[in-house]
Amino acid sequence: MNTSLRGQLLIGVALAASLLLVGVYLAAGGSSYTPAKTQDPCKERQWRDPGGLQELAEQFSLSALDGAACELGVSRERLARALATPEARERFLERQRIDDEELVRAVRAGLLRAVDDAERAGALNPVLADPLRSTLRRIPPEQAIELIQNAEDLLDSLQGLFGPAQGLLEQFFG
Amino acid sequence: MNAPRPRLSALAIAVGIVLADSSIVVLALPEIYRQLDTSVAGVTWVLVSFNLVMALAAVPAAHLARRIGPGRAAAIGLAIFAGAGLACGLAAELNTLIAARCVQALGGAIAVTAVLELLPATVGSERRAVAVWAAAGATGAALGPAVGGILTELVSWQSIFLIQAPIAIAAGVPVLAVARHEAATGIIATELRPTGRPHLLANLALALASAAIAAALFLLVLLLIEGWRLTPIGAAIVVSVMPLAALLGARIGPRAGSERARAAAGSILVAGGLGGLALLPKAEVALTVPPQLLIGIGLSLVLSALTETALAGRAPQAIHGGWTISARHAGVAVGLILLTPLFTAQIADQRRDAIDAGTAVVLDSRVQPLLKLELAQKLEDRLEGEQGKVPTIGPAFEPLPEDPEDREDVLTLRDELQDQLDRAATHAFSPSFGLGALLGLLALIPIGLARRIDL
Repeated sequence: MNTSLRGQLLIGVALAASLLLVGVYLAAGGSSYTPAKTQDPCKERQWRDPGGLQELAEQFSLSALDGAACELGVSRERLARALATPEARERFLERQRIDDEELVRAVRAGLLRAVDDAERAGALNPVLADPLRSTLRRIPPEQAIELIQNAEDLLDSLQGLFGPAQGLLEQFFG
Repeated sequence: MNAPRPRLSALAIAVGIVLADSSIVVLALPEIYRQLDTSVAGVTWVLVSFNLVMALAAVPAAHLARRIGPGRAAAIGLAIFAGAGLACGLAAELNTLIAARCVQALGGAIAVTAVLELLPATVGSERRAVAVWAAAGATGAALGPAVGGILTELVSWQSIFLIQAPIAIAAGVPVLAVARHEAATGIIATELRPTGRPHLLANLALALASAAIAAALFLLVLLLIEGWRLTPIGAAIVVSVMPLAALLGARIGPRAGSERARAAAGSILVAGGLGGLALLPKAEVALTVPPQLLIGIGLSLVLSALTETALAGRAPQAIHGGWTISARHAGVAVGLILLTPLFTAQIADQRRDAIDAGTAVVLDSRVQPLLKLELAQKLEDRLEGEQGKVPTIGPAFEPLPEDPEDREDVLTLRDELQDQLDRAATHAFSPSFGLGALLGLLALIPIGLARRIDL
């Protein structure tokens, strides 16, 4: 075999090996091996079948987070972390250029959406939904702020939302 | 002057150790980053500074070697290289380390170009001298990261530099005989022929291919250690696939076709390997092996073919050797300068995405709410404790709940979180590997444009 032919063969083998590798890795999902994208909080999220009061309260809190995040135009995950500590909340308010009042308004809207979602999912008796909405609408701003400030454990706001939500639900279901 | 074999070994070691230095520190960078309390961009300058000074100093160093004699120049160069290596090993802060690396590169440039002038007399022909010189350089560059990783883990990052001093001095001993001969006789063995123009296209291709190879070595090591949390020695074992494949490439290279075909095939393989690394479908060490095989064989083919092409029929060898050194190291430095901001930005983006994805996993998990609260707090602590690095999340899940159902939920959550972190760490490097592949493909342009690149 002459030098020219050997050279062409070498280039051909190199090209084939490279294309094969790239092709195999692409077919194996190489272009989609990325962290999961966060879901749009404005879209309705499927409720899991709640096994008990605790689970129901958790689903309620998650829906409330979705609703508040949708109001603020951020992801549910970012809002959850922002509500974890007073410092994180301050940073969040600064970056979003909003004040506590707007945040409270968003949280209240989130709680109301959670009632809608719970009702739609058949997890909340429609008879109880309206009184619950009225109660949530009447939460004074100070209490809403306190509710958020108390949320220190689960990725910012879960505990704060979870506690009062559980209390309210216990009132209605208990 | 009558002992060519020990002298040949000494000269090859001198070239190998100097050119290994452009990559030997790669596996030690994470350790240097931690110990010297600097930034990723800052620690990159430990590599960039060496390559930049080599690029700038290689041609002037070759002229110096021709003026004062290659024996004396090689001895002086190796002495500077050894002394600066000691200073690197003793450096307590980043600026001192970078300054010592610059001096080390200066000594290295003088030694490597002078050795090219000494080799023809040792091996009998210029062509063979070039082949030995190119092979020693490629072997050194390919072996560097693995040796550096082993030394970092078994001893310390400082040992990488400290161990070079006695090796450089030992390599300089046979050179001293030539230096003494030059001093005693006043004869400079090199013929002072006029300097011809460098082979621009071969050197340009060499720079582009070197940038791509630097991307492969540097990024793969960072991915293994910082992304997938391998130990330096573990990463050294993994990346040793590349030098082993380079040895294979060195064996098939000479029989495989013209220099032009070898250079083109080598560039394609380097680009293909980097393309594979950019598209890793999972965070599995085994999946880095096929791309490394392509890159290792490719680097051996492309570096030796282009170096031989750039030097073929050109005199004086030291000057043209200097141009190839300059092109290679300029390529490495430019590659690192281009890649650093890209992958540091990507790491920040992916960290954010991983935290979002991880938060979603925790929020949506079936773990009991109270247990979830506890886990969330522990995970938050680990994220804080790792100060921006990819955290080891396993300890946050200890002790596992005793209830079998809770235990299963917690383990599922742990696996899902780990998967998100792996995805983020791997994906953070994809665009940089992709850019490296592009640089490898760009090397094909000057290779194709060279009308008479064949020997």
